[in-house]
Amino acid sequence: MRVLVVEDDALLGDAIQAGLKQSGYAVDWMKDGVSAEQALATEPYAAVVLDLGLPRLSGLEVLRRLRGRNTQKDVRINKQTPVLILTAMDTVDDRIRGLDAGADDYLVKPFDMGELAARLRALIRRASGKTEPWLEVAGVKLDPAAHRVLYRDKQVELSAREFALLHALMLNAGKVLSRAQLEEQLYAWGDEIESNAVEVHIHHLRRKLFPELIETIRGVGYLMPRDKDA
Amino acid sequence: MWQRASLKQRLLALALTAITLVWLGATAFTYHDAREEFDEVLDAHLAQAAALLVVQATHEIDELETEHTPLLHKYARRVAFQVWEKGQQLRLHSANAPQQPLASRERGFSDNIIDGKRWRVFSTWDESGEYLIHVAERADVREELARDIAGNLLRPMWFSLPLLALLLWIAVMRGLRPLDKLAREVEQREPDNLAALDASTAPREVVPLIERLNRLFVRIEASMQKERRFTADAAHELRTPVAAIKAQAQVARAASGEAERIHALDNAILGCDRAAHLIDQLLTLARVDTLDRGVVEPCQLRDIAAETIAALAPAALEKGVQFELLASDETVVRARHGEAEPSGAGVPASHLLPQSAGYASNVSEVRGNPGLLRVLLRNLLDNSMRHTPPGTSVQVSIDHEPGVVRLSVSDNGPGIPEQERVKVLERFYRPLGTQASGSGLGLSIVKRIAEVHDAALQILPVSEGQGLRVTVSFKS
Repeated sequence: MRVLVVEDDALLGDAIQAGLKQSGYAVDWMKDGVSAEQALATEPYAAVVLDLGLPRLSGLEVLRRLRGRNTQKDVRINKQTPVLILTAMDTVDDRIRGLDAGADDYLVKPFDMGELAARLRALIRRASGKTEPWLEVAGVKLDPAAHRVLYRDKQVELSAREFALLHALMLNAGKVLSRAQLEEQLYAWGDEIESNAVEVHIHHLRRKLFPELIETIRGVGYLMPRDKDA
Repeated sequence: MWQRASLKQRLLALALTAITLVWLGATAFTYHDAREEFDEVLDAHLAQAAALLVVQATHEIDELETEHTPLLHKYARRVAFQVWEKGQQLRLHSANAPQQPLASRERGFSDNIIDGKRWRVFSTWDESGEYLIHVAERADVREELARDIAGNLLRPMWFSLPLLALLLWIAVMRGLRPLDKLAREVEQREPDNLAALDASTAPREVVPLIERLNRLFVRIEASMQKERRFTADAAHELRTPVAAIKAQAQVARAASGEAERIHALDNAILGCDRAAHLIDQLLTLARVDTLDRGVVEPCQLRDIAAETIAALAPAALEKGVQFELLASDETVVRARHGEAEPSGAGVPASHLLPQSAGYASNVSEVRGNPGLLRVLLRNLLDNSMRHTPPGTSVQVSIDHEPGVVRLSVSDNGPGIPEQERVKVLERFYRPLGTQASGSGLGLSIVKRIAEVHDAALQILPVSEGQGLRVTVSFKS
């Protein structure tokens, strides 16, 4: 899962980036409103962590432009992306203003890293239309919080990238995802991507689980078929 | 007691006292006047009576027994006469007259005490010199009459004084009603109601009080708002470093690799330093905010600059920032002391410390609080250290013109864009790209201390788009 963190404080931004990486996210970190807007216009994100007191363009303005109707077309790629406001402003009015501007959740500093990760998981889960924390497709169960995958009630050991890839495919079960889309989900800016990384990870997943789990649509991408009965 | 008595009680007491005193004065005057009038009238009566007696005595004394004349009036008891033949034999006297002479004087008026009673006596001889005549009147008659008159004057006062007190009380109550109204209005206010009081309907004497109160309200309101804003800002600003420390610590705990953990822990420590710095700055600002100039004394800016630079120089060197101190009158002073030092050049701070004694005074002298001036300069130097790249050189210069002493801190760093130069004075404002270690309060502190010293603060580039010069101009 790739998330965008917008935080102008160097130490805090660094910590959020590191902490979310530990939870298996690919994290892009922007330090002001204008760069955040540019990032939102170019990359699809699973979720956004947004500070309000930003230089150049306030967090609320970034949010309004993201959700607003008159945005440029290219900004719309993240129009539905869940946004969590992370701020030191803690009055009820602040929360109301933030949520009304289009935020999906509101967390006040100082916060708990674990809580931030959990809220992001919940936001991403709900955004994909699921309500239960477990994902289950074709007998494969994935627990995003515990980073565990069970197949036939036995735990399967996966690397962080394999887990993230499986997570992305399961969230989008029944949809074809291109290699580029999967790469975008797996890697933050500045991460090195080997040319056939996605193929290698898919191969590993088929071997560790079962080959039919992921279908290859030649020249288009990959697909995890939705359960027939689901 | 008197100090704390109510205005109404005071007014009433004073008015009643004044009235009583005037009344008593008038009575005393009347009494004395009456006494004098009585004396004259009654003395005249005595003389008249004596004259009658003289006429009577000289013609008819032979036919009269040496005995008494009847009492004709109740007051007659208090009037007496004696007729002495040759001054030695009592020939005729009134019933109440004593046997001894009424007076030792033989002519004119005299006051005598006989048998413990005071008599006013008129004495005369008849024309032939045969009879000495004393006509006397008890002195207490006169006293009594005067007292009666004075008493008649005082009596109504005993009745009218309580009535007067009542009327005065009502008058005082009515007169002080606007004051009561004001007191009630102030008393019934909510503690946080700082709206102005209406002075338009108040009596003239109370208007200055109301105006003062209103001015006080405005000042309290302003300082309360400032306080609230500051507290909100401070809470906001303190949360971020705490959040960073906590997040870094949690990252460290969950870290899988050694390098990752060390990085996070180092950052957590950095965060603590930053929070500590922020707290220091907040406390300093809170202190200078509530402060007036405090103790004002002549301060040698050069000495303060030298001390402050010396204190910060080691940290600056570590960051690769070079400090120097320039003072415009250096040449003059050095020349006077006959030293062949190169003129006007920067002198390393460490060489500048305890030399004030040798310098001409009052050139770098300003009136101010030396502690605050040190804080001001330390913040300016701290800024130039934090926000410039290594290799920056920072110059502190002090120069003077008639009436002005200027303290400038200039660096050859990146400077501040024009549109940011006002904003950097705002509390907690940090220009974009600022190292996170700054509190965003340094220039606010500088600005406040300059204000307190009635000094002008100027932020300009050293040259076109290059470097930064902060100048504080003190009136000297």
